[in-house]
Amino acid sequence: MRFWRVIEPHIGFLLQGFALTVAACLIAIAGAVLLGALTASMRSSGNRWVRGAANAYGDVFRNVPFLVQLFFFFYGLPELGIYIGAFETGVIAMSIAGGAFVSDVILSGIMTVDTGVIDAAKVSGLSRVKIFTRIVLPIALRVSVRPMGSVLINLVLTSSILSTITVNELTGAAKIVAATTFKPFEVYAVLLVLYASLTTLLSFAISAVHRRLNRFMTGG
Amino acid sequence: MRYADFTPYDIVLLLQGLGVTLALFVGTTLIGLAIGLLLAVVHHYRVPGCRPVIVLVTEALKNSPVLVQLFLVFFGIPAFLHIRMTPVEAATLTLSLNTAAFAFVVFRSGIESIDRDQIEAAQVFGLTRSQILRLVIAPQAAAFSVGPLIGILVNQLQVTSLISVIGVFDLTKIGNILNLRTLQPFIVWAVIGLIYYLAAKTLAHAGGRIEAALRKSVKWGGI
Repeated sequence: MRFWRVIEPHIGFLLQGFALTVAACLIAIAGAVLLGALTASMRSSGNRWVRGAANAYGDVFRNVPFLVQLFFFFYGLPELGIYIGAFETGVIAMSIAGGAFVSDVILSGIMTVDTGVIDAAKVSGLSRVKIFTRIVLPIALRVSVRPMGSVLINLVLTSSILSTITVNELTGAAKIVAATTFKPFEVYAVLLVLYASLTTLLSFAISAVHRRLNRFMTGG
Repeated sequence: MRYADFTPYDIVLLLQGLGVTLALFVGTTLIGLAIGLLLAVVHHYRVPGCRPVIVLVTEALKNSPVLVQLFLVFFGIPAFLHIRMTPVEAATLTLSLNTAAFAFVVFRSGIESIDRDQIEAAQVFGLTRSQILRLVIAPQAAAFSVGPLIGILVNQLQVTSLISVIGVFDLTKIGNILNLRTLQPFIVWAVIGLIYYLAAKTLAHAGGRIEAALRKSVKWGGI
């Protein structure tokens, strides 16, 4: 098999890159979901200024290319005297960009929550924070698992862009392998299939989570 | 004057970059939509053997990073087939196919959204296959597809920034050049970001108007 013959001597190096991709994605997904939930709660707030600030953040980071955002952070942060590694910069940029998209999904989940439920919680004497974290958010997250899944899959694909700021994650590692073997077609074709299977696996996992969270919703 | 300062000529440079970005965006969008539409029609008519291939290829395009696709086309194909390919050709090919994959899914669900009964009724009235496609399916599928398509196109506009990585002199590449020369990343990338932002907003706004116009004819008028 000609593809395997090209890849085989470099498999260890590629696996290192893969590990870096997985690490970046896991941290960025956690960051994006946290930031997204926070932003969504701000966007559903009654205060005009809080709402406006959160909306502006979501609007800007969804309408500017990720590559431009990444360069802004990568070249801009040292200017402010903040010296962090390329990997850290990349993960922060992914979290911020991902958070903007996640907040959209969670916000539309929050909008599906019946106002009667919130009224009932208020009457029961729950505090506003309790109502949001214990009542609204669980319902909203259950509804938004599937759309959030496609956002997270996009985030995984976005992680390949970190290779442009010297992070040797899977794509960066593959670039080096392609340059040393002079077999770019084989290397990138394998890479494409790898990413496609990774995201397909992720979408199966999301379907499983969706079924698990909504297991009481069937039948009625 | 140092060479590192901003000059009035930089504005020309930025406009040039914007021009390349927009030209490639418009070109690949038109090609992509045409291919996507063709795939959806072929898929709809169940041409033997085509369905699994179309689904497999579009899924692979949708589920892999555009950057890897660009590398595969720009570095991989010339090395494999021993042909020459310029960055612009590679970018055009990749972005067109990528747009086609996303457009295919939208057009397919647009076609599938039309009730089976309508097509049967049209058949009973003696309309031919192409008449049904043109007069019954197309107008409704178009109105249904415009909304999702706008979202995809706004996304594809941002994806065009990746072609700077393979050496196309688009807006992001100009940003790179200005960044390296002036060493003022905050100003440079903020300006580049602002231009992309305005372009995306304009596109979304125009799309919203087209959608409103198309939906007028199929609006639910009540019973």
